[in-house]
Amino acid sequence: MAKKLIDMINISKSYGDNLVLDDLNLYINENKFLTLLGPSGCGKTTLLRILGGFETANEGKIIFEGNDITNLAPNKRQLNTVFQKYALFSHMSIAENIAFGLKIKGKSKAYINDKIKYALKLVNLDGYENRIPDSLSGGQQQRIAIARAIVNEPKVLLLDEPLGALDLKLRQDMQYELIRLKNELGITFVYVTHDQEEALTMSDTIVVMNQGYIQQIGTPEDIYNEPENAFVADFIGDSNILPATMVEDKLVKILGVNFPCVDTGFGRNKPVDAVIRPEDIDLVNVEDGIMQGVVTHLIFKGVHYEMEVTANNYKWLVHSTDLFPVGTEVGIKVDPFDIQIMKKPESEDEEAVIIEE
Amino acid sequence: MKKLLQNIYLSLIIFLLYAPIVTLVVLSFNNSKTRAKWGGFTGKWYVSLFQNEQIMNALYTTLIIALLSAFIATIIGTAAALGIQSMKRKPRTLVMGITNIPMLNADIVTGISLMLLFIAIGTALKFVGIQFSLGFITILIAHITFNIPYVILSVMPKLKQTKRSTYEAALDLGASPIYAFFKVVFPDILPGVFSGFLLAFTMSLDDFVITHFTKGPGVDTLSTKIYSEVRKGIKPEMYALSTILFVSVLILLILINLSPANKNGETKPKEVNKITRISHFIFRRIVPIGMALVVVAGGFFYNSKKNLKGNNQVIVYNWGEYIDPKVITLFEKETGINVVYEEFETNEIMYPKIQSGAIAYDVVCPSDYMIQRMIENDLLAELNFDNIPNIKNIGSQYMKQSKQFDAENKYSVPYCWGTIGILYNKKMVDKPIDSWSVLWDKKYKDNILMQDSVRDAFATALKYLGYSLNATDLDELEKAKELLIKQKPLVQAYVIDQVRDKMIGNEAAIGVIYSGEAIYTQLENPDLEYVIPKEGSNVWIDSWVIPKNAKHKENGEKFINFLCRPDIAKMNFDYITYSTPNTEGRKLIEDPAIRNSKIAFPSATELERCETFKFLGNKNDSIYNELWREIKSH
Amino acid sequence: MKNKKKLLAGPYLFWSASFIIIPLFMILYYGLTNNKNQFTLSNIAKITTPENMKALGLALLLSLVSTLICLILAYPLAMILASKSMNQTSFVVLVFILPMWMNFLLRTLAWQTLLEKNGVINNILSFFHLPTQSMINTPSAIILGMVYNFLPFMVLPIYNVIVKIDKDVISAAKDLGANNMQTFTKIIFPLTISGIISGIIMVFVPSLTTFVISDLLGGSKILLIGNVIEQEFKQSSNWNVGSGLSLVLMIFIIVSMALIAKYDKDGEGTAF
Repeated sequence: MAKKLIDMINISKSYGDNLVLDDLNLYINENKFLTLLGPSGCGKTTLLRILGGFETANEGKIIFEGNDITNLAPNKRQLNTVFQKYALFSHMSIAENIAFGLKIKGKSKAYINDKIKYALKLVNLDGYENRIPDSLSGGQQQRIAIARAIVNEPKVLLLDEPLGALDLKLRQDMQYELIRLKNELGITFVYVTHDQEEALTMSDTIVVMNQGYIQQIGTPEDIYNEPENAFVADFIGDSNILPATMVEDKLVKILGVNFPCVDTGFGRNKPVDAVIRPEDIDLVNVEDGIMQGVVTHLIFKGVHYEMEVTANNYKWLVHSTDLFPVGTEVGIKVDPFDIQIMKKPESEDEEAVIIEE
Repeated sequence: MKKLLQNIYLSLIIFLLYAPIVTLVVLSFNNSKTRAKWGGFTGKWYVSLFQNEQIMNALYTTLIIALLSAFIATIIGTAAALGIQSMKRKPRTLVMGITNIPMLNADIVTGISLMLLFIAIGTALKFVGIQFSLGFITILIAHITFNIPYVILSVMPKLKQTKRSTYEAALDLGASPIYAFFKVVFPDILPGVFSGFLLAFTMSLDDFVITHFTKGPGVDTLSTKIYSEVRKGIKPEMYALSTILFVSVLILLILINLSPANKNGETKPKEVNKITRISHFIFRRIVPIGMALVVVAGGFFYNSKKNLKGNNQVIVYNWGEYIDPKVITLFEKETGINVVYEEFETNEIMYPKIQSGAIAYDVVCPSDYMIQRMIENDLLAELNFDNIPNIKNIGSQYMKQSKQFDAENKYSVPYCWGTIGILYNKKMVDKPIDSWSVLWDKKYKDNILMQDSVRDAFATALKYLGYSLNATDLDELEKAKELLIKQKPLVQAYVIDQVRDKMIGNEAAIGVIYSGEAIYTQLENPDLEYVIPKEGSNVWIDSWVIPKNAKHKENGEKFINFLCRPDIAKMNFDYITYSTPNTEGRKLIEDPAIRNSKIAFPSATELERCETFKFLGNKNDSIYNELWREIKSH
Repeated sequence: MKNKKKLLAGPYLFWSASFIIIPLFMILYYGLTNNKNQFTLSNIAKITTPENMKALGLALLLSLVSTLICLILAYPLAMILASKSMNQTSFVVLVFILPMWMNFLLRTLAWQTLLEKNGVINNILSFFHLPTQSMINTPSAIILGMVYNFLPFMVLPIYNVIVKIDKDVISAAKDLGANNMQTFTKIIFPLTISGIISGIIMVFVPSLTTFVISDLLGGSKILLIGNVIEQEFKQSSNWNVGSGLSLVLMIFIIVSMALIAKYDKDGEGTAF
């Protein structure tokens, strides 16, 4: 049974008139890899900084292992942060950087030296003790920043888009490294990113945020397969989001054609949004399809083909391992459980409020 | 709480920075001519400022030098920054090291080094027949020199931020290197160039030390003008001018910084943005450019006015505040000769300039003993008295007295005369003063103002000791030196013409002063009294002479003749209040109390106690100087 | 292409050789010769006369004290300014560059009016029946003048390095357990050394060599080394001795430049 480590209750934060976080509730379990995911400006970094103690919430409480730490200074909190731009101390050697926290805690020289060795090994940078930060590459600096944080044995490691400045290949390597680190250390990671692929790869739990509200909390699979609203659907992966009408339970009218689905409880003839992932669309013979269309675009993507199928004046995005050349007339078929129905919001703000409830 | 403390601290520092500025602004509205007294509110200095040609000239010289030097420095500096950027590491370090020199070097060393260079160039060019002496050009070169580093150091950081790839992208898209530079690189570094220019302009405007060493006669920036005025009291017009300059820059900066575009970022709707962009454009471009144009136009206007006057000139080298400016204007109007006017503070400062011959002055007004020295060192030309018929207006007793230093009255024409004595404040001393001994009276510690010139200072000590003020006996001089060192802790300050303002402002009880100043101070502060001490004192004559290397000797003689006209002598007397030897002129003084003033025209018995300074030979002169230096740095 | 770009520095190199390097050699030449153009060290030796030693010693003392005061005043000031986010740079410019548009001499002279016996400050004191102070013509007045005139040159370089410190670096220190004091001594202060060094030099050198401030606020009673040199040139017309003494001053300046080169490699600590 997972234990609740951090509980954030009714957190609100605004800068002047600009509301960044609005009455937000979130708990984090022990030993989890939790990711805050959202576009820039959604409030995820602010939330992390409030957790780290660098910002104070206007309202709300933070409970850490049962203690209220809302007003505790950052240097008194049992969490450490890895900053986006590494924030290494440029006037100190690597060893001095790593030793910084331990020295302040007054640890013995021997202990500190052991820890430095251990941490450098952990991040695969043995022997870098006497280098200075500016002589290291971005990836190496990032590892040092991680090493510097973890030698303090925090219960929680906060990571603020730590891979944002690295190139693609390095980023992928570091993703696996972070997962390995987390498993070896056995601590909680709270990770902030705007990169959905990163979030899906590493997380146990993903918190999707937008405009200061939590849009959805769930496992990567939940988030991907069952987006609770158009924003999440759009933000995570590619998808076809279509305006539709719920004719009755288990029947939805999309672009004038009735599709059977599995959702119930939306009422009769209510406007809704329907989400269909491109890989969930089956292209079949014209006569077997629920809807008919023509392939208008084709790109080979390696694992699959990406196609644009124009049907009923809508350009469907379709992923398929089968090849349908441009100009082919095809039928479109979707399994009922692959259609995700969402209530239509009047605005983005409302969208969030409804989900919260 | 912390915020409050921070704001209090910030306010205190700002208060410290601006207290003197507020003081100056207040002084610019002071009806009294002296700094020491509040004479009620007035705006008259703002009017008379624009009629004061000397200040206006200095202003335009300052602005033009600042503008030109900043402009040239910006071009050279920006180009240099681009060049340095593409250098390899080693040469770059070297060049940046050189760039740091003028910034880190002491102004005084920079100034002196440039002065030495300019004089050497002048001497070298003389051989090929080109005239090159200290003047406008040398100041300009000096200012460019110390301005370039500011531009380079402003542009370099911006250049570092500029990505090489954008420049290369432009080349890739078919732009020529020059086009690519102006379209891609230049806009990126423009803020750096602009702030470099502004910084250079400000530095040039604020410089005194380097200008002090590299300037020549007749050219004055505001700084050097002010420095020469310091000793005799700043003209209130100067305060007015500074206030105008300060306030206009303040307004300009406020406009730039508060121009609406800056206030709320870029989040406004488009229409509003258009308006802000326009006002942004106006405030940031048009206003500064407009101001620059006004300055340049004004400068050309002044210059053209000057050039109209042509080369028919006379270069005058006179004591500070020793002529009515209207007399100069009148002379220029009547004769069409352009007067280049330069001032000195002491004979000792004046002499080396004449001796070095670096500047060819046409008429100079030294004191008696200095004239003797100049004659002995063959620096003076004989006057052609056919050109100076007005000499007849000078009283014969003064011509006779002049023979002490100009044996045959061949070289000099008396201009002013007077005595040295003690000016004291009747309310601040317990009984009337009649002896030099008060200068050593501990009662008056910090209440004594001494003359800051060798001979005058020694004269007080020598006379008090009962020696001649032309003593050359080493024992006597040594005793005088000891006495003056003993006096030092009692002295509030060593000053020259500032005695006047300080005495008027009740800053001190006792001051050693020239009789001519005494008359003026009494008018301003009736508590003051002047006395020639019973031990005797100095009686002196300042006379016009013409140096041997004068280029406009006839103009010089015309100038001297003009000054000997009774009405002109009277005008000068009214303005400078120094006793005139012009007997005919004295008759024109309206107020009988002043016409017969005992201070201005002391009785023969009083004068009998007084001696005239004599030149004591180069050797004794340097002994005096050496002793004086010992006193000053004791 | 690259070579061509280097040529742009040509005019500047010519200019600096002509008007920076050669003039310094002129001083060297005059300083090491007598008026008959013979080599001598006597001009430099002039610094050892008791009067000149006293002037140099006093100048060193006053400039060190005023540099220290500037540092103590400027550091917190720079930190406060750096913490103000509103229109920061223009605010700093407004406050510290603006006074320079009021002439340097006039500003210093205004202190006379403030400090004099019957000056503004004493008038205020006596209005509140407090004892008046004698302030003008003392070494303290000169120190005040130096601090007043050169404070901006201490504030700006320190400000410039402080604003360049990544806020995250300070957060990181706190995150790793450092309290405010530790964050300052271990992180902020070491990171601002380059600015401090520039500031010290930009205050120390002009204070050491000034002759104007001691002239205006010292009542010509207090002679600093700058006054001695100025008099050698402008009054005694003894250029050789003046140059010799300038060479002595240059030693201090060269030491300063070496310090700059050591601590401020990127030139980021410059005032502007």
